[in-house]
This record gives sequence, structure tokens and C-alpha cells, in this order.
Amino acid sequence: MAAPILEIDRVYKFFGGLAANADVSFSMEPGTILGLIGPNGAGKTTLFNCITGYYPPSRGEVRFEGRRMNGLQPDKVCKLGMARTWQKVRPLAKMTVLDNVMVGALARTNSLREARRAALEQLHVVRLEHKEDHLAGGLPIGERKKLEVARVLATQPRLLLLDEIMGGLNPAESEEIIQLILELKKTGRTQMVIEHDMKAIMRISDRIVVLNSGEKLAEGLPAEIVNNKDVITAYLGDSLE
Amino acid sequence: MRPALPPMLRAPRGAAVLPLLLFAAALAALGFLPLWMTSPYALHVMVLIFLAVIQGESWNVLGGYTGQYSVGHAAYFGIGAYATMMLLQYHHLAPWWGVWVSVAVAVGLGVVIGSITFRLRGPYFVLASIAVAEIIRLIALNWTDVTNGAEGILLSDIPPLTIGGRLITDFMSKVPFYYVGLALAAMTIAVNWGVQHSKLGYYFQAIREDQDAAHSLGISLTFYKNVALAISAFFTAASGAFYALYVGFVDPSTVLTVDTSVQIVLICIIGGIGTILGPVVGALVLVPLSEALRSNVIADGLFQLGVSENSRTGQFLKENLAHAHVLIYGVLVVVVILFMPEGVLGFVKGLRRRFAGKAALPAKGEA
Repeated sequence: MAAPILEIDRVYKFFGGLAANADVSFSMEPGTILGLIGPNGAGKTTLFNCITGYYPPSRGEVRFEGRRMNGLQPDKVCKLGMARTWQKVRPLAKMTVLDNVMVGALARTNSLREARRAALEQLHVVRLEHKEDHLAGGLPIGERKKLEVARVLATQPRLLLLDEIMGGLNPAESEEIIQLILELKKTGRTQMVIEHDMKAIMRISDRIVVLNSGEKLAEGLPAEIVNNKDVITAYLGDSLE
Repeated sequence: MRPALPPMLRAPRGAAVLPLLLFAAALAALGFLPLWMTSPYALHVMVLIFLAVIQGESWNVLGGYTGQYSVGHAAYFGIGAYATMMLLQYHHLAPWWGVWVSVAVAVGLGVVIGSITFRLRGPYFVLASIAVAEIIRLIALNWTDVTNGAEGILLSDIPPLTIGGRLITDFMSKVPFYYVGLALAAMTIAVNWGVQHSKLGYYFQAIREDQDAAHSLGISLTFYKNVALAISAFFTAASGAFYALYVGFVDPSTVLTVDTSVQIVLICIIGGIGTILGPVVGALVLVPLSEALRSNVIADGLFQLGVSENSRTGQFLKENLAHAHVLIYGVLVVVVILFMPEGVLGFVKGLRRRFAGKAALPAKGEA
């Protein structure tokens, strides 16, 4: 067993008296895909924010490649090789698609020429190169999501955190994203994926962690999770008897 | 749609030769202009235009590219003006040395202020920038021992500039100021060009478009905002020093007021924010407009059109229109902002696109 790339160690996050995350622990093997699921308000995005430095965990520790990440700013986290996308996409609206991805690529180089080359490469990966001259703000949602992925890939992350990257997409677009995630896995990237589409998450995930009311409810292989009584209860409620 | 070429075969963007040639040509033409344009008033208007260009281009780095709408640039303008004047008048330090000290002070203070106020976003940052400039105005007003308070500092004279014993200029006419202004204006334009065509420009614009997204892409917000502010404060302070030496007088109510800050922002808003040429266009619109209103051309024009100068209306116009120039100026500015929200430059681009029938094509942020 390889050393874990990411360790979430008893992480708590309080907002006032509300525990958005409570005692969450799990770890990720390099090169795997972990699905993070749970009902609305379970604390999935909060956990993403704790991991990527948007706010420090109130208690507990996040370790990336053995290094303690608590208190590091998001830009540092990105430089260290961990990058995230946003549930609500955040295109740099008045910049072109290519410029958007170049901003990501510039995290690794000071040369515009080099950044442009890297950006075009990532646009090719997400199949958006025909839109390179368009303003990012004018893209339809499906392409915005792809842009988000290309931009984050350009920062050369070893661990990628995708926050509801398929939300709002039609089945064909979702399928494209699924293929993209599987392709990225082949290149050795580790990915943590928040998703509501159960079919999709079961297909792509190596392991699944279920959050409910801020706590970890279950963890296991996809097949184990679909048959887990607690998980079914959390999503559908108790049976009537 | 164009076919996707492999990355290697595409020409790198930004290698534009034509704008560079035009810039050089304009610079050369302006360089020869004082040879035949000898009217002191015309030179004066040109100097004011240069000053506005320097101010606008300086603000543009922070406000235009980085999206941090400072309405407190009077602070840096005033510090540049005051420090240069104080060093010259009280310590007899020649202005071409003093200006370095004053920009250093402005940049140093800017970074301290920035490290505090850049935590604030949107309107809160704007308010903080106004507050800081007001604090500095109040200090200048009340710290009488150092700044001579409300009386201001009157310059006795600027020492002649000599290099190796040869007299370059004695600063007696407006011509040396014309050239210094031109040089500074060209320099700030070049700086904006450099910013737009470098990593800085990409990072500044990313911060403007979405701070959280920028942050998650490895951009240190505080660091890059401070870099933008440092560049901006540097040239704003230089423009302040230039202004003080040109006018020969500074006091808190001319260089440190909110009016000054607003004026600087207006140059960019009118011309077009976040473009290289925007502040130039803004300066070319605002300075002549303000000069024309001040010298009462509207009343004169009406008299030319047949309104009797001695009628009651004529008398009224003559007496009041000159005083109303600020009001008219304000109304015109509001009209421009209402009908050209992206500035004159954005408006012209929009027209061009409409006439070319390519309204659907995206506008590229080049200018």
C-alpha cells in the first residue's frame, strides 16, 4: 500500500455553534478517485474549503503528501499541487478562454509563451480549443465547466478536487465529463469528486465517503455504499414501520 | 470556427508592430510640437493633458487592471507633491533627486496602507481608500510645523538643471515642463503596455474578475494587489511632484482633496477602464472640456450666435456661466457615464463592431 496522498484527520469545522464538519477522517491513495457524497447541507463543500485553505479547520489536521496544510492560504495550497474547482463556476468573464487557462498555467511558469503552450494543451484535453478566442463569460454552462477543469489542470495539480462538476449538465455533457475524469485517472492524477448523480459517482469512484450532518456516515467501495442501510436512511428517511 | 492547429504552429499573440509604430510616431510628433506651437496657453493645456494622462494611466494599473477602485489616489499625488516641495524649499534638495524620495515615501506608505485595506472588498475598499486620503489631508492641514498647514508651500524657484557644467534648462518657460510631462506620460503608457503583456497583467485581471477563483489558481491576492498599488502609487506620486513643481505651490485643498481623487478616477471612467488608451482618451476629453468651460466659451459662443451681450440674458450668462463650469462639467460627466458605460473607447469599439456587423464576435481586451 502506497503512502496516502491526502489524509483528513479528525477534522472539525464550526460556524458559531454549528458543526459543519465533525470528526471527519479518511485518506486517499495516489491515483484513485474518491467520491464524496451526502444529502444537501452535509458539509461536503465545507470540507473542500477546509482542505484547500479557504478556511482552516477548527480542529483536526489535513495532510497532503505528508505535509500539514492547516492555515495555508489557497494560493499556497495550489502551488503545492492541490487544486479545486467551484460548484458555482467562476469564469474570469472578461478574459478569453485561452487567457483563463493561461492564468492557471502561470502558477508554474513566468513565461507567457510557455503558459500559452501549456494552456492550449489543457484546452485540447477538455476539447475546448475551438473556443480559445471567446470570452469566458459568454460560454454555455457545459463549456464553462470544462473551462474550469482546464484552468485547474493547467496549475499541474497532483490532487484534483472537483465540486459538482456535472451539476446542471445534460446527460451527454455529463458523459463527456465522466470520460474526462477517467482519462485523467489514467494519467495518474488523484481526484476527489463531489457529485449528486449517483449513477455517475458509482461508475467513477474507487472509494466513496458519505457525509451526513457534517459527520462521516460511511466509507467503502461503491458496491458497499449502495447497500448500506444508514446511507439509504440518510437519503430517503426511515421506513414507515 | 477555425480548425485547431497543433500548439506549435500558432503565432504567439501580443507581437503587435503597428501600435508600437503609431506610438513612436505620436511621440515624435509631440516632441516637435513646441517648435511651432509657442503659445504659453496652448503649452499649458498640453501640460495639463500630460498630467491627466500620467494620473489616469497610474490609476489604471490598480483600478483598471486589478479592479481595486481606489478613490484615494490624492494621497499618493499629495505625498509626491508635498515631499518634493518640502525637500526643495526647506532642504534645498534638487527636485530631480527629491522626486525619488517622494515616490519612495508614497510607495512605502501605499504598501503599508494596502496591506491593511486590501483585506476589504468592493465598496468597503473604496470607502477605506477615501478615509486614508482624508487622514493624510488632515495631517497635512494640521501638522503646521512640517507642512505649513493651510497656507501651503510656495516655491521660490527651481534650481537650473545642469549636466557637466552645461545648462540644460532653467525652468523659466513652460517648454521644459512640456517635455518632462511628455516623457512621464509616455513612460506610464509603456508601463501599462508592459503590465498588459506580462504575467502581472494576467494576474491583475484575474483578481479583478474573481478574487476567489484567482486565489485558488495560485495567485497571492495581497502580494499582487500590493504590486499593483506600488506601481500605481509610484507614478501617481511622480505626477504629484511634477504638478507641484509646475504650479510652484501646494496646499492641502488643491492636492489632497477627494476632488483630486475623483478627478483621477474620472479620467479612466470617461476614457475606458482597464485599457491602455482609455486614460489618454479620458485626458483628451476632460482637460479641454474643463478648460473650455472655465474660460466661458459657452457664453461667448452664444454671443456669437446672436444673443446680445448687453441684454439681461447676456449679462446673466456672462456672470453666472463661468461660475457654473463645475456644474456643467458634472452634468456632462454624468451623461457620458450614462450613455457610454464602458467609456468613450468602449463606445467607439461598440460602434465599430455594429457597423462591421460582427456584433456577435467577442471583444478582445486589447486596446
